[in-house]
Amino acid sequence: MGFLSPWFLAGVAAVGLPIWLHLLKRHKMDPRPFPSLMFFERREQSSVVHRRLDHILLFILRTLMLVLLAILFANPFINRATPKAAGKKLVLVAVDNSFSMRATQGGESRLDKAKREAQNIIAGIPGTTAAQVVALSGTVQAMTGQTNDPAELRGGIASIKPTDGRGNFGELARFARTLAESSKMPIDLHLVSDLQKTALPPGFTDLRLAGDTTLILHPVGGELPNWTVENVVAPTRVYDPKRVHITATVAGFGTAAAKRNVSLVLNGKTVQSKQVDVPAAQPGQPGRAQVDFSELPASYGFNHCEVRIDSADSLPGDDSFPFSVERSDPKKILFVDNGRQPKAQLYYRAALDSATDAAFELDVQRPETAAAAQLNGYALVVLNDLGPLPPGLEENLQRYVSLGKSLLVALGPDSVAMAKVPVEGDPIQASNYASRGGEQFLSVSETDSGHPVMKGLERLEGVDFYQTVGVAPAKDARILARLNDQTPLLLERQIGEGKVLVFTSTFDNISNDLPLHGAYWVPFVLQSAAYLAGGGAEQPVNVPVDSYVELRTHESKNAAAVVIDPDGKNALTLQEATTATTYPLTREGFYEVKTASGQDSVVAAHADRRESDLTVIPDDTLNLWKGTGAGDTNDAGVGGTADQKTTPWSLSPVILLLLLVIALVESAVANGYLRPPAERQEGARKAA
Amino acid sequence: MLQRFLDPAVLAGLSSLDLIAKTVVDGFISGLHKSPDFGFSQEFAEYRAYNPGDDLRHVDWNVFARTERMYLKRYRGETNCQVNVLLDTSGSMKYGSRGVEKLEYAKFLAASVLYLAHLQRDAAGLVVFDDQVRNFVQPSTRQGQMHRLLHGVEEAQAGKRTDLVPPFAHLMDFLRRRGMVVVISDFWEAPEKVIEMVSPLKFRGNEVVLFHLLDPEEIHPKLRHPVMFEDLETGETMEVTPDYAAHEYRDKMRTHLEDIESRAKGAGLDYFLVDTGRPLDAALREYLALRTGRL
Repeated sequence: MGFLSPWFLAGVAAVGLPIWLHLLKRHKMDPRPFPSLMFFERREQSSVVHRRLDHILLFILRTLMLVLLAILFANPFINRATPKAAGKKLVLVAVDNSFSMRATQGGESRLDKAKREAQNIIAGIPGTTAAQVVALSGTVQAMTGQTNDPAELRGGIASIKPTDGRGNFGELARFARTLAESSKMPIDLHLVSDLQKTALPPGFTDLRLAGDTTLILHPVGGELPNWTVENVVAPTRVYDPKRVHITATVAGFGTAAAKRNVSLVLNGKTVQSKQVDVPAAQPGQPGRAQVDFSELPASYGFNHCEVRIDSADSLPGDDSFPFSVERSDPKKILFVDNGRQPKAQLYYRAALDSATDAAFELDVQRPETAAAAQLNGYALVVLNDLGPLPPGLEENLQRYVSLGKSLLVALGPDSVAMAKVPVEGDPIQASNYASRGGEQFLSVSETDSGHPVMKGLERLEGVDFYQTVGVAPAKDARILARLNDQTPLLLERQIGEGKVLVFTSTFDNISNDLPLHGAYWVPFVLQSAAYLAGGGAEQPVNVPVDSYVELRTHESKNAAAVVIDPDGKNALTLQEATTATTYPLTREGFYEVKTASGQDSVVAAHADRRESDLTVIPDDTLNLWKGTGAGDTNDAGVGGTADQKTTPWSLSPVILLLLLVIALVESAVANGYLRPPAERQEGARKAA
Repeated sequence: MLQRFLDPAVLAGLSSLDLIAKTVVDGFISGLHKSPDFGFSQEFAEYRAYNPGDDLRHVDWNVFARTERMYLKRYRGETNCQVNVLLDTSGSMKYGSRGVEKLEYAKFLAASVLYLAHLQRDAAGLVVFDDQVRNFVQPSTRQGQMHRLLHGVEEAQAGKRTDLVPPFAHLMDFLRRRGMVVVISDFWEAPEKVIEMVSPLKFRGNEVVLFHLLDPEEIHPKLRHPVMFEDLETGETMEVTPDYAAHEYRDKMRTHLEDIESRAKGAGLDYFLVDTGRPLDAALREYLALRTGRL
């Protein structure tokens, strides 16, 4: 037995406190004069003696508490024989089945070789030693429990399948640490892997192993040159097939300079092919080249696209890069204008047309025409500085918004004639003018940068506002931007299922110079149009393997979601379809996803391209990793011996429990003394 | 109104013992207006029929002239007796739980008795004692006797232990005439021993009055928690529990008081228990009423 912090035993000196309280202080009773003690008898002190006995019990309890407290802080331990000393250990066989293990050498994949090696390891384990088989890709997957049965272990190895995930040795180290802590046994960790350098975690400390863990490496394969399509940048939605710009990056890891044929495949059909010169790879740096494709004759709806190269290397799985593209018509925007300020329409149209993929078409109408128009065909209606609305237009707009559509209202000098903002309903107060001379203008003081419309438009620096319309916002209105006089510049309000966005200035360059600042004006117009006409946020459709797709939000709990995997099979059970909020994409390929809110999409998952780099971890790093386990004797503890036959076992929990019990008893005893004497006597008399 | 001044605590505030004695005695005499001659005299002034052999100087010739019968005139001075006050000043008399110590109360009482005797023209004397005689003023009716007595009372200081033997032996030597002996003490002694010491005075034809002075706390001690008591005479200490003081002590005290009273009455002594928590004149009034009933 020993103490990890013996200097805390000095706290035993605190025992002096109860000694003073009980033994020294109790004698200090001032005598009171009395004429004669003739009728008092010495034997009556027996009552006092009884009381002192009780106090001694309390004294013992308190002293014991203090002593135990001091011992607790000193952290006592006893040495117990370790499982290692008893000859016990656990064998953990980890087989790497990440994407890189698909690489073939001599007609046999690395994974097959690894499984064969793992079978050999199992054959060498004594029958009395427990073992466990795990597969390692993005996460650690236990293929068996801890067992002595060789048949079960062999079956576990045989059931390991190749995956498209990325190997992560940090996850394996964490699993081994947890296992060592729970099993309290030494672990022999056999790692059968291609020991890919990119599988190392960012920090080396994530690789550390527990004290009694021995790492035994079984490398399969080695460094091989490998070509890959590293990345593809493509729009997720296409409106004009002739105005599509797709960029693919071809990389060669450990390869010499070479020409590669790059093909763009659309729904299984090659639509374009190009040849590219890829430079030779440098140490630690792959050779890279980019290829641009400018057209994509996609059909309406979702299209399965790929960029492929001809590589004929050992890892063909990364020679193609899947991505998903949706073809749809441009959305129509109705711009209602009275024609007095033609520049507003000009600036707005110019901003919409500046987008590379023409997502929107602008249709301009007078208010009188719009009052009778069928608005259902428009994704967005914009009201530009209108005076009093003609009969029927506001009712038409209200019907339109109630169907879940959106309205963008720009207020200008003409709008002051109206009592309130159309449809939105906030009262219009007055027009605020600032002089154009000197510094007499307003600027934006604060913006809600978390809103999709204001993304990247922090404070609109340098934009001057000379005239705005004062609007008293409703309580449920969200202010997206304020001017420096604290009046709202841009506010949003939900009306039924639809949204109304109010801009309290105009779209021309008279009331403000925003349209002249292209860096702000174009994003503002495009983002507001996309937000109001797009119908909500969309999830990404081109993601790496092991990403998750969102199937439902909290609002759509009961509706069913659908996921069709790359094999065309329904990936969700009935229960998962109604309850799952996300779905992990574990394989490369195209997933058809229908969320619970009814949104359809095709998500393309591609293997992480870090797996394409088949560079092996240097020996120095591997030796360091091994050293964190078996070579680490620091964790043996103070009471441990050099051969680690014993391990310190802390007595603190036992002492803590004892301390708790004594504290409870002390409370009960002390409570008895704390009662007033009269009450105690009365109680004793009643008892008598 | 007067009663307010006779509260022991109020009397203690008066500086002069002479004033205290007058306040007390005049107070209760004015209350006893129908019997102004009540006092400590054993014989009453009277006319007695002449008998052969009587001194003819004492014949009241005026009565003979009116009635032709001879009566002897008994002078008041001849009825005076000796009144000796024995004041206990032992250590236990220093106790007082309510502002006035027993010794102080005893001094008031002694002064009052002596003043009353002086009014009766009795020869009053004083013996101050604890375990020895500390002061002795011979009984006398001389001029200035009252002053000497009050001075003796005032000078009395609390001493050591109580021992009745020396003062009573001393007193026996000086008591030549019959009279009255007033003993003021807390009698912290065994009852049989007290009576044994006091009763020889009775055999000489003296009237013996015992004033037993006790503090209310001595009779009914009230303790809220255990207390360490120290004997004022011996210095001995002892821890006492409230339970004991409330029950066993009270029983023993009651037995003691009953015993001492019955033994005193058995020996023909007048016994009167004085609670120092009560007004002084009330104690005197009660005693005199008791004596009147007997006379």
